[in-house]
Amino acid sequence: MIYAVRHKTTYRYEAEVTFARCVLRLRPGSSLTQTVMESSLSVTPEPSSSFDRTGPFGESTRTVVIETPHRALVIEAQALVDVHTPPARLDFGAPWELVRTRCLETSDLSPLGPANFVYPSVRTPLVGVITDYARTSFWKGRGVVDAASDLMNRIRADFTYDSKATDVSTAPAESFEARRGVCQDFAHIMICGLRGLGLPVRYVSGYLRTIPPPGRPRLAGADATHAWISLWCGEESGWIGFDPTNNIMVQDDHVVLASGRDYSDVAPIDGIILAPGKQTLKVEVDVIPQEELRLLRPAFGAR
Amino acid sequence: MKHAALDPAGAERLSGWLRGYRPIAGTPDELFDPSLTPRDHWLKFLGELAEYPAGQIRSRFNLATRHIRDTGVSYRIYGEENERNWPINPVPMILEQNEWATIAAAVEQRATLMEALLKDIYGEGTLVAEGALPAAALTGSPDFIRSLRGVPPPGGRYLQLYAADLARGPDGRWWVLGDRTQAPSGAGYELENRLVLSRAYPGLYNAMNVERLAPFFDAMRKGLASAAERVDPRICLLTPGPFSETYFEQAHLARYLGFLLVEGDDLVVRDGLVYVRTITGLKRADVLLRRVDADFVDPLELNSASHLGVPGLLEAIRGGGVAVLNMPGSGVLESKALLGFMPRLCRRLLGEELKMPNVATWWCGQAAEQALVRSRSDLAIAPAFNLAPNLAQSGDPFARPRLMSDLTRAEKAEFFARLEDRPGDFVGQEVVRLSTTPVMRDDRLEPAPFVLRVYATATPDGFCVMPGGFCRTSDQMDVRAISMGEGARTADVWVMTDRPVERVTLMASQDEVKVRRILGHLPSRAADNLFWLGRYLERAEANLRLVRSLCTSLMDSEAALHGEGETLTKLEELLIASGALDEEALGARALDAAKPALLDLEAKGSVITLVRRSRRTAASMRERLSADFWTLLLNLENGLTDPTRRLASEADALQLVESSLQILAALSGLAQENMNRAAGWRFLDMGRRIERGINTCRFARTLADAESTTDDLDLLLDLVDSQITYRARYLVGLALTPVRDMVMLDAFNTRSVAFQVFAMRDHLAALPSLVEDGMMEPPNRILRQLSTEIETALAADIDADAIERFEDTLLSFSTAVGDRYFLRGANAVPTIKLAGLA
Repeated sequence: MIYAVRHKTTYRYEAEVTFARCVLRLRPGSSLTQTVMESSLSVTPEPSSSFDRTGPFGESTRTVVIETPHRALVIEAQALVDVHTPPARLDFGAPWELVRTRCLETSDLSPLGPANFVYPSVRTPLVGVITDYARTSFWKGRGVVDAASDLMNRIRADFTYDSKATDVSTAPAESFEARRGVCQDFAHIMICGLRGLGLPVRYVSGYLRTIPPPGRPRLAGADATHAWISLWCGEESGWIGFDPTNNIMVQDDHVVLASGRDYSDVAPIDGIILAPGKQTLKVEVDVIPQEELRLLRPAFGAR
Repeated sequence: MKHAALDPAGAERLSGWLRGYRPIAGTPDELFDPSLTPRDHWLKFLGELAEYPAGQIRSRFNLATRHIRDTGVSYRIYGEENERNWPINPVPMILEQNEWATIAAAVEQRATLMEALLKDIYGEGTLVAEGALPAAALTGSPDFIRSLRGVPPPGGRYLQLYAADLARGPDGRWWVLGDRTQAPSGAGYELENRLVLSRAYPGLYNAMNVERLAPFFDAMRKGLASAAERVDPRICLLTPGPFSETYFEQAHLARYLGFLLVEGDDLVVRDGLVYVRTITGLKRADVLLRRVDADFVDPLELNSASHLGVPGLLEAIRGGGVAVLNMPGSGVLESKALLGFMPRLCRRLLGEELKMPNVATWWCGQAAEQALVRSRSDLAIAPAFNLAPNLAQSGDPFARPRLMSDLTRAEKAEFFARLEDRPGDFVGQEVVRLSTTPVMRDDRLEPAPFVLRVYATATPDGFCVMPGGFCRTSDQMDVRAISMGEGARTADVWVMTDRPVERVTLMASQDEVKVRRILGHLPSRAADNLFWLGRYLERAEANLRLVRSLCTSLMDSEAALHGEGETLTKLEELLIASGALDEEALGARALDAAKPALLDLEAKGSVITLVRRSRRTAASMRERLSADFWTLLLNLENGLTDPTRRLASEADALQLVESSLQILAALSGLAQENMNRAAGWRFLDMGRRIERGINTCRFARTLADAESTTDDLDLLLDLVDSQITYRARYLVGLALTPVRDMVMLDAFNTRSVAFQVFAMRDHLAALPSLVEDGMMEPPNRILRQLSTEIETALAADIDADAIERFEDTLLSFSTAVGDRYFLRGANAVPTIKLAGLA
């Protein structure tokens, strides 16, 4: 499945900004599950310096320094991505305790080595009540895929999607307590639960294909960034994606942007600016399947 | 060994010490050998010590401690918040050279091993790839900095300073308890301990052939310099700031080594290089001696909540633009998880056995080790990794080391469940027993358990070990290392040699020293702090004067006129305007207004609040203020907060005001007479003068307008301390125009607005200029206009409107100074984070 993705971020400032230094994690990378056919990233005003490298968890980053005085910063990422996740596994996976033991024995320090994702992190600390919540799904000897699917299923059933209940900085203990939140919260909660049981799990950010209501046109910029998790299920199965917000295994509808231990590792834009005033933020995202793209191309402006 | 020279009293003292000393059975002791015979080198030391007459030891020691503090060698002031206080033991810990040689060789080897480990972990990664080290034994550390893998360390090495914590076990052998590779603390304290002891017993110290510390610090300085690209590098000590519990030590080390003490805010990254912000513009920083934990050094790439770091620092490191030592990420080796692997890693990397064993440790991330830890109730359990504080669960009983045998049944069950869930989070350790060394209390010697920290510093020719160390002793007689906690006292560590010791200090030899009168460039933050210190102190003084008038007016019958009615109201209005008094207090009795204006902790302009702000501001630049300045500042605060003081009458309040004003006068005098007239002094003085100018304008507006009574004018002269001058000059009595002239325009009156403005004009002229286009900088322009206006004005024209205009101009001048010289003056541009889910 091929998608055109557009992710446009606009910061507007009350006062003139004279200096900005930003790390952008906005370019999807190719992997076993997807191939990036084209990608571009534009920053306005023009950065005085810009360099690309690979971040600690394999994500593509671009660091830009902007020294032109400005009142608006526009960052627009576009990509054409072919998603080809292998079909979801039908078996239940290895016994989950075995996965826990194997993770501690691995000799892999590479960006996606499971040992990187088994310890608590800034945004996903160990939370006793969340571990205990997860434990219900992890009875002795249960297959790890089976158990994690069950946990995902329960999160979907027990929690309410509510974009007003939390914000970008809400701690998992808080959204767990409220049983409400958005994709970021559900991903963090699921990570806390799985890590509490000693399993290595990644936070994945990206995009989800949305289907417009029947008969209605696709609204430009109306899609959103999405987040889910990926669980290491042993050497044989590797990383398997679970989307607790939608209670689905990650398949061809998910375009991966970056992954890390929690949201803070994959924040699309981290930056500091020199400015005395307030700022506002606007984000527009479009995820359009290639077959629809033909119709939209002139308006959408993708190449 | 005999001490023929000892007089009978001395001999009695010596034998009294030895008789009263009771080592713990089964525990090795530094003073007594296992057959309870005193060791030679100790006997020699105690024999010399006993020569001092009774009572002299303590007085010499106390005098030395005070002297060190008074001369400003030490900044540690008793009673500082957040600061750990380490009482010093009057008796050093003494090691003879043969024993020391084995310790030094072992520490040197271990430092070399640590460097090799870091090189592999952040470089090729063969240890993990080939299974010698499980990946998960590294990844649990908050100091495993993934983004520095594959980055060669600028300067060619990871470690500049390494420290090992050592203990002597029951068999008399030394053990390594743990490694300090992040930013070992204590070396600066050891320096202080040495200064105190060598000053307390100079003859003894020289007679004993004690190895000197100076060559070690010299090696460290040269080692850091060798990490730089430039020949004459600027080396900075990067501190987390005055809220760090070892800030004193950092300030002390920076000054001793001649490095600039900087916080993250002082530094900025431009084009791959790191610069210090100074009042002379950006100046390159070549090497940073790091005391900020790795996770906090760069909010852009690492912990984004950090306010201690420098955005872009990792990028600068990757580009080789700055050497940061110890390299961020070095702290990964402090994890207990790694201890069990060390013997094998040493064999593999260095091809030799560890010269000193470390405490036996089993990382539970391995199945067999976990089973062993479960089966043994004689072990200690501990977290496998130093957890970042924000990750440690509050109240977690297993966040610190525990003895398995101390756990309750319920705790044990909980621990085993935790171990089951997350085995990689824990280690089991052999329980280490400590040995004892003599400490002196009340002229008696007692054994105390101790831990010894030994330092190694990198030089281009390998590691150099400090002959001495930082010894912490416990007040508990429990010799299990785990009970040691953070230690209660410290002792200097003396390494004795047979040969005479060359006397060296860090003083450079004559011809090396280039004569200079200005010490480097003043960092903007320091200028900012000095300026505000001046403003707070002056504001406190102004409010004290207001309170004084409030109180005297009631007591002095002749001047009782302003005790009631409008003048009292005006005084209270002035206090309200300065934030010292709540608006509701208007019309209150003098004492009821004086009390809160002096002591209300909630009021932002009360005298106590201003004094506290002064002290806090001063605390963040202690290396720039003398000990006398400090002591006065603390006296000022303590006088105000003295719990035994009662303010029952105006007279009580007056007494407090007078004593506070005297201390403030002493502080001004000290700044005028004892502070080096470099840029720093100019900012302190400008702060005072700008505040005085603004306050005088405010007083004059309120008390010298067209309707003012003679009472008002009288009060005004009181407030600006110009009574005597006026009376001497004008015999006719109080009149509006002469008073205005004296308060506003008289360039000979040190309290007038004119005098402040002219003084500031001189300061600005002496400060460096940044402009290259020949245009006048904004502060200079504002001040030049104001001073011209004042010079040409006539007192008759100085009405309330004119005064208000002067006041506004002074305020905008303050802002302009902040914009030009400071990082975060009132209007300076702040660094903020881009926010939101982008």
